[in-house]
Amino acid sequence: MRKFLAIVLLFSFHWVIAQENTTKITVSFTNVSIPDALSSIEQKTDYKFYYIEDWFDNKLISGSFQDTSVSDILDAIFKETVINYFVSADGKIILTQNNLIYDKLPEGFLDEGVQVVVDDEEYESDKVNPVFNNQEKSARNSEIETIRIGKENRNNNNKRFLLSGYIRDVKTGRGLPDVAIIVKDRNTGTSTDGNGYYEISLPAGLNVLQTKSLGLENSEKNVIIYNNGRLDIELDEDYEELDAILLEANKDSNVKEANTGVTNINVKEIKNIPLVLGERDILKVATTLPGITTAGEGASGYNVRGGKTDQNLILLDDAVIYNPSHFFGIFSAINPFTSGDVNIYKGNIPAEYGGRLSSVFDIETKEANVEKFSGEGAIGPVTSNLVLEVPLVKEKAGLLVGGRTTYSNWILRSLDEESLKKSKASFFDIVAKYNHKIDDKNDLKVTGYYSKDEFSITSDSIYGYSNRLGSLRWDHKFNDKNRGSLIIANSQYKFNIDYEASSDNDFKIGYDINETELKLILKYILSDKHKFDYGVSGKLYNVNPGTIEPINSGSIIDELTIPKEKALEAAVFLSDEFTVSEKLLLNAGIRYSFYSALGPADQRVYQEGVPKNESSLIDTVEYGNNESIETYGGPEVRVSGRYFITESFSVKASYNNTYQYIHTLSNNTTVSPTDTWKLSDSNIKPQEANQYSLGFYKNFDDDAYELSVEGYYKKSKNILDFKVGSQLLLNETIETEVLQGDGKSYGVEFLLRKTKGKLNGWLGYSYSRSYNRLDSEFREERVNNGEYFPSNYDKPHDISMVANYKLTRRFSVSANFVYQTGRPITYPVGTYNYNGAEYVLYSDRNQFRIPDYYRLDLSINIEGNHKLNKLAHSFWNISVYNVLGRNNPYSVFFVTEGGEVKAFQSSIFSRPIPTITYNFKF
Amino acid sequence: MKNKINIISILLLTLFINSCVEPFEIQTETFESALVIEATITNEFKTQEIVLSRTFTFEEDGPSPETNATVKIIDDQQVQYAFQETSPGAYVSTTEFAAQPNRSYELSITTSNGSVYRSFTTATPPATQIEQLSVDRITNDDEVNGVAVFVDSYDPTGNSKYYRYEYEETFKIIAPRYSEFNIIVTNDEFPDCDVALVEKPSDLEERTCYRTQISSEIIVTNTNGLSEDRVDDFQVRFIPRSSYIMSHRYSALVKQYVTSREAYVFYETLRDLSGSGSLFSQSQPGFFSGNVFSEGNPDEKVLGYFDVATVSTSRIFFNYDDFYAGQPLPPYIVDCSPIAPPILTNGMGDACPLISAIKSGFYKYAGPNNDPDPVLGEGDFDLVIKACGDCTELGSNVVPDFWEE
Repeated sequence: MRKFLAIVLLFSFHWVIAQENTTKITVSFTNVSIPDALSSIEQKTDYKFYYIEDWFDNKLISGSFQDTSVSDILDAIFKETVINYFVSADGKIILTQNNLIYDKLPEGFLDEGVQVVVDDEEYESDKVNPVFNNQEKSARNSEIETIRIGKENRNNNNKRFLLSGYIRDVKTGRGLPDVAIIVKDRNTGTSTDGNGYYEISLPAGLNVLQTKSLGLENSEKNVIIYNNGRLDIELDEDYEELDAILLEANKDSNVKEANTGVTNINVKEIKNIPLVLGERDILKVATTLPGITTAGEGASGYNVRGGKTDQNLILLDDAVIYNPSHFFGIFSAINPFTSGDVNIYKGNIPAEYGGRLSSVFDIETKEANVEKFSGEGAIGPVTSNLVLEVPLVKEKAGLLVGGRTTYSNWILRSLDEESLKKSKASFFDIVAKYNHKIDDKNDLKVTGYYSKDEFSITSDSIYGYSNRLGSLRWDHKFNDKNRGSLIIANSQYKFNIDYEASSDNDFKIGYDINETELKLILKYILSDKHKFDYGVSGKLYNVNPGTIEPINSGSIIDELTIPKEKALEAAVFLSDEFTVSEKLLLNAGIRYSFYSALGPADQRVYQEGVPKNESSLIDTVEYGNNESIETYGGPEVRVSGRYFITESFSVKASYNNTYQYIHTLSNNTTVSPTDTWKLSDSNIKPQEANQYSLGFYKNFDDDAYELSVEGYYKKSKNILDFKVGSQLLLNETIETEVLQGDGKSYGVEFLLRKTKGKLNGWLGYSYSRSYNRLDSEFREERVNNGEYFPSNYDKPHDISMVANYKLTRRFSVSANFVYQTGRPITYPVGTYNYNGAEYVLYSDRNQFRIPDYYRLDLSINIEGNHKLNKLAHSFWNISVYNVLGRNNPYSVFFVTEGGEVKAFQSSIFSRPIPTITYNFKF
Repeated sequence: MKNKINIISILLLTLFINSCVEPFEIQTETFESALVIEATITNEFKTQEIVLSRTFTFEEDGPSPETNATVKIIDDQQVQYAFQETSPGAYVSTTEFAAQPNRSYELSITTSNGSVYRSFTTATPPATQIEQLSVDRITNDDEVNGVAVFVDSYDPTGNSKYYRYEYEETFKIIAPRYSEFNIIVTNDEFPDCDVALVEKPSDLEERTCYRTQISSEIIVTNTNGLSEDRVDDFQVRFIPRSSYIMSHRYSALVKQYVTSREAYVFYETLRDLSGSGSLFSQSQPGFFSGNVFSEGNPDEKVLGYFDVATVSTSRIFFNYDDFYAGQPLPPYIVDCSPIAPPILTNGMGDACPLISAIKSGFYKYAGPNNDPDPVLGEGDFDLVIKACGDCTELGSNVVPDFWEE
């Protein structure tokens, strides 16, 4: 405090010497340094300059001034710098860096005289905001670097300035996503986006910025901000912190963000979670969080808050990935080494996304190292994975290439079991991302991805499916307030079945869906209070719903092609993040989506009021190319709000409604790779949903613990189901098999997370219910007499625990525990004889349940040593999946064999499965 | 063809991923009693039969018949065909009649408790003859070698389209350890126990028999995806190489029913839902209705289908040697390794093992024991499981009328 007063007194000397400077001179410079220019002014006048030469870099200036006042000349010279100057009465010109020397004290300053205590609140409430650099002592006394941002402008009375910049990895030069930037003692903060970019509004003057991110060193910087400006920070990886499991980047975003139901998973941080067959899996980790489940082990597809598996928009670098699973869902098709960040929106879906009812999984591929060649790999029992990062233009452009393949074919062949030798299963996926930072304002990213699965059970048929996608994203910054991104994405999913028994009915079946999207997102920061996101998007779908063709010329199989489907889905959206007050934050968005099924097509027209079937078909209308067959659309409201009850305790509420114009056709109880996607048309209506959620969020112990309780209620309509035993593949009149009904789900999700310390992890519990109703006045279109019945994935109680304990710097142990109510099944209520064989009579749909599911997994993680000069960092993971050897039933089914009913129960992983995986990084 | 698309059989990678499919005993959790109707009226002029039963619990042995119902069929010209119960649950038309072309029929049932059931009217489909049956040695989808019976059929009008098959197979059985002698007990008192060999009567045929079995699986196909209404080499029966039924001579009578699309869908659905499940994805099971409904309670579950079909039959024969000449026969249905219990044991509980074995009724005499063996016994006589020495355990010793050597 004493020093502070001294500084105030010092300033007061200058304050009294106000003067007007009118001396005019003629001078010119050509490519001279600023000090040289200043000395030529000194020579022509009586002024003497005081400054430190270090302030000026080697920048050369040129200029010619005719009879110009010295102050104008100086204004011109210092225009591009952070230098201010003060002309004293005795002919001294004192240059200062950043700050102005005031010739009068701000209004009200003297009233408080020497008693003034300049603290945070004072800054915020000042009417005029000279920045007195009064706390610099802390910078001098410690090693914390002090950075001055911007040039103080006398006419700028803003209380707050915008600081932006990138946080990069010091080694790779890559932007670091999800680094929390916290303003010490001010309870504000932000976090970097996927590119490492951040923006934060700071009160003028000294701010202590801290960056925090698990896996990275922490940093602290004193930032004295005078004006809007830029600060790039470079951080180093911190190996000591690697044992943390999951990162909530912005440490208090849990309580702070306006959106309900947002989950962020940072891939880098999941490496200690026990593995199945040695595969690190982001989407599997997601299912340990409340609200995201699968129908069972080995079920591909995710059920989010009681929604069907086709209701999730899964995006990989902005492009849709239709089947993100390998091997029937045992592995996900997302390469964990190339993925950066996953955001899952299960509550309020931001207005920029649409087209699915339940959730958005936004997966971003990380960006290549632009500094040096590096790589990462893993060798596991089933797959190998290698990722390389190649800088192409130093500090600007890089290419990341990742590939994963399985050697399960080899394993199958080497097994003794005769029945398995004819089986075949293989998969691979490759991803490549090119990122180019063109300049400060332009960023370009291009991603390509391909995954393929192939398997056969009998020697003569081969099933295959593949995902292919590509996207291009151009981020452009127009100015400090306006930014935009232009995205072009294309995705394709296809599968085929080849049947080759060298008979005359060999055939080939194929299906594919292709979509191309063009999207423009713009951001406009109107003020501290309003931040707008708005944009448009358009998507064109092309579906080949199925073809069958003979393989050889002698085949009597008739070639059949179900006519193509085409549709356009477009949307405009606008949302405003509106800071109403310090406590209340609203995120209000609206999206208007529009859908049109397009020709060429022959659209069947059925009689109204009777079940659709061959006999109620009354007409077939032909539509020309691009002619609109049927349009649907509507406004989608996405509103969410947060209110701080206390600083670390908030309540959030949201409402949103969604439309979905594309559906999977599946009459399986779980997802199968041969499920097809169908576009809405005049006979199949789009699905709609409304979701309300309310949650409470509390952080304890300096954000070490996060506790949240969130409840939701969701109603949907026109969800698809099918008549029992319907054939969906290659069916030309699919609408005669479809039932559209209502869905209803609700639940409460509890999550306790510990993000710091030796022991970290989370404990989640959800109580949730999910029901469907298929009602109609016609019996054949009714299920369970038109009453609500539990959906196939209705699991009321779901407990997940993930814990990780760091024993030493190099050793850690972790455990997963999962308990779930058994999923509903349709069980026989009797048996009967028919034509000499026994069959079963089934209960109402989903009237019974399979036994409860529980599982414990354990793993040990061993880090290689951390010597910097080591060739590669290594990491071993030894996991045991299903340690208890619990034989969790996955399904039960009843078959008639030799005229008798037999009951079977299947389970996927019925024994403990140990695996060991070696990971390396260079 | 389409059934091959029927996805993913159980075995996939079972070992590899430690998964397992295991049988379990079904227990009835709750029971629902429902009427089951088996009714197929054909274009053969005969007394038509309809069987009515009810569902039963898993703990019960079999269905209870639905007795004392009034059953009739009415055609579209209001001609009624009455049925009468000949044995519990089996109702036979009082007159002979055949389903006529271009005519449609309706089934009406009134059960003893007064519930009335009716079917939708069902038309007689076109009649198409089996063109030919053929047999061939193949390796099937599961890589099992064997002999398959194929059917060819062709409807030049293209109207038949939906086919269902049944077969009745008859095969010759030769008892592998047949002996002309029976062994009989002459004294069962220890220690004087004794046996004797007696020649079998010459008119008692125990060596060569014929067994007839009726298919119980649902065999359907359609010609929808094909350029012509031709059933071509459609496999109705596959006999694995290891099956004893084709050891000597085999015959199959194949019945081809041309049926309606609705009936076809019904049978296909029933087959798919009762077919092999899959480890990873299971078809949504549930109740699906046939074409019979309850008049008073439309929500009542009624099982079965009233089918009107045209039928064509054809028979084929083949010998084992036609395909596996000179190769060893498939293993017999039971293990025919002999046992040779000694007539007396001394020391370890005085008994007459041979007498006990003969008296158990499980064994037949197969011949003298030429190869005394401490494990199988060191007695003088080889005994084998009855079916090894007496084919009447498995079939009839009467040569069927249709049998051709």
